[in-house]
Amino acid sequence: MMRIVKSREFLVLALLVTMILAVSTVNKAVLYPITLINIVNSSLFLMLLTVGQMFVILTRGIDVSVGAIAGLSAVIFGFALNAGAPLPLAMLAALATGAVAGMVNGLGVVLIGVPPIIMTLSTLGIYRGLMRVLTGGSWIEQVPPSIKSLAVTRVYSVPVMVWVVLAVVIVTAVLMARIRAARWFYAVGDNRDGAFLLGINAAATEFAAYAFSGLFAGMAAVVFVAQIGFVPMQTGSGQELKAIAAVVLGGVSLMGGTGRIWSAVVGALFLTAVDSMMIFLKVPGSWNNAVAGAVLLSVVIADYLIRRSLRNRQAVARAAEMRGADGPTMRMTEARS
Amino acid sequence: MILPGWAKSWEFVLGCTLIAEIVILGLISPAFLNIENLLFSTSDFAHVILAAIGLTLVIITGGIDISGVSVMGLASIVLGLSFVAGAPIGLAVVIALATGVAAGGLNGLVVTSTDVNPLVITLATLFLFAGIATGLPTLLDLLGFKAYGAGGFEAYQYEGITGLPKSFTRLGTGAIGWVPFPLIITVAVTALASWLLWATRFGRYLTFIGTSAEVARYSGIPVRRTLIGVYAFNGLTAAIAGLVLTAYFTSARSDLGSEALLNIITAVVLGGTSIQGGSGSVLGTFLAGLVLGYLRQGLLALGITSDVVPVIIGGLLVGSVSLKILSGEFNRRRANRAAYRAGRLAEGNDRG
Repeated sequence: MMRIVKSREFLVLALLVTMILAVSTVNKAVLYPITLINIVNSSLFLMLLTVGQMFVILTRGIDVSVGAIAGLSAVIFGFALNAGAPLPLAMLAALATGAVAGMVNGLGVVLIGVPPIIMTLSTLGIYRGLMRVLTGGSWIEQVPPSIKSLAVTRVYSVPVMVWVVLAVVIVTAVLMARIRAARWFYAVGDNRDGAFLLGINAAATEFAAYAFSGLFAGMAAVVFVAQIGFVPMQTGSGQELKAIAAVVLGGVSLMGGTGRIWSAVVGALFLTAVDSMMIFLKVPGSWNNAVAGAVLLSVVIADYLIRRSLRNRQAVARAAEMRGADGPTMRMTEARS
Repeated sequence: MILPGWAKSWEFVLGCTLIAEIVILGLISPAFLNIENLLFSTSDFAHVILAAIGLTLVIITGGIDISGVSVMGLASIVLGLSFVAGAPIGLAVVIALATGVAAGGLNGLVVTSTDVNPLVITLATLFLFAGIATGLPTLLDLLGFKAYGAGGFEAYQYEGITGLPKSFTRLGTGAIGWVPFPLIITVAVTALASWLLWATRFGRYLTFIGTSAEVARYSGIPVRRTLIGVYAFNGLTAAIAGLVLTAYFTSARSDLGSEALLNIITAVVLGGTSIQGGSGSVLGTFLAGLVLGYLRQGLLALGITSDVVPVIIGGLLVGSVSLKILSGEFNRRRANRAAYRAGRLAEGNDRG
């Protein structure tokens, strides 16, 4: 229990609940179930990007191309639908586009050894350019209405999209916990050389992380097109930085090796909720980015201070132990651990 | 043929690339070779080079600062707001530059006070500064400041602030002879940063910290002060870039420069600065910025749509870095083989 309470996800979740409760004292409408459902619904796109991003960051990489991948996948999705492909096939095309785009990143990072930020920054430009080249720079306005029905259909008054994404997240979480190879992401991110010496295929693990990141970006594209009903050129633009911010906010360390799916989910929910809260507080939308940035900055600084004080306390406790201090100190350290 | 040392440097390669690029583009479209045209088209991308120069110094220390793109917009809107609030334009420029230094200093302060990755910190401040830039006009309204014209400050949020005095916009549109002011400013900042890097203790510290922050600290180097200084300098160059862009567009906007991140980092990396820190060159960044900028101009002149340009720039970035890595690998293998052969030879001699 203590472990959960001390975790970063819990800190951010508590902040999220506090924020919503605080806003509800000004505007009751925040607490209506429909409002909360809408917040979750509008966080789906970012959430999928964030979960994908998490895999890459776990391995100590970074993927700034996810927004562009989502844009490219959305365009392919739109093309496939307009070419008369059945919905499942079109979705598959979008997912495949995302996965392939992610694999290209993976190849550059693993095979050639290009630093992740350089590799994905390059593909950010390439994919976004490709997207414009493919469409000739114009929006795909005509998307069959069948796809839109996915977004408006509600089961138990919750959009079916939310259920689907929830299922994806839960399945991924279960797989992450059950499959042994899933731990390779952590091992490689924590200590690549050590993982290699243990017989883990570090290169394949990193490659898989980028492929997953692309795959999830492809899913995000499907959600986006379903929710909006057309493909604007700005699809996913700037979302890569939001996704990284959400991952970090949720407690995934950029140094690799720590973080869970829930970190990604909570981070994405929080960043989306901040935007919604601004609306309920009638703060002009122009402040959204400032608030998101300030929150991210304060959370990482607070996290650093907490970690430092924990470390100091542990060091003090250890020093006391070494001196052979008895009774009270020992008991106190036991109670803490 | 033995090349002199300077001819092997990356800057020399970039210089040759630049000349070759201009000649090739000139052969395809002769209008491109007009000197005046060549000089004046630098105004389109001077802001990228300016921001990249500050970033070069930061990356040399092993850090990174992606918030510069937001500082550009912030400096621009601060200048505009100070001006419409009644400050003389000179004072407004000083306030805007000071804002840039403060923004960069904040980055440096947080980077040195915590062990959090600079990418995360500057990602947070990227949002923070961009948000402040877009939100500032409404805040001034709330605080009850009075602006000229109807609609208060909020009206400036989307349409930008125009009507800046000639003495300021000359910095973006004017020229001395054939040399436009943005280019003069860029060259001056390049010279300043090169001097800082090569001729001052501060510059040497930067390389030292980038090679090993730990060793630098144990050697008694003021790591904290140096890092805060370099992030503040990056804030300053980003602010200068924002102001040059403002003068060039003759309009102060909060979203100026927000699209430039890919180009800025490409210029730094193509310029030969290692993203891992420890080595880098301001001149290289300047030349790489010119190569990239003219490439873009040339492609557009050739009738290639601007949509394809990021594809090519992205390809160039990953291509140049891959080439560097692969050639390094190749050289290492060759050195290994040579050493192995020399070893075999020595062994044979011993036996004989």
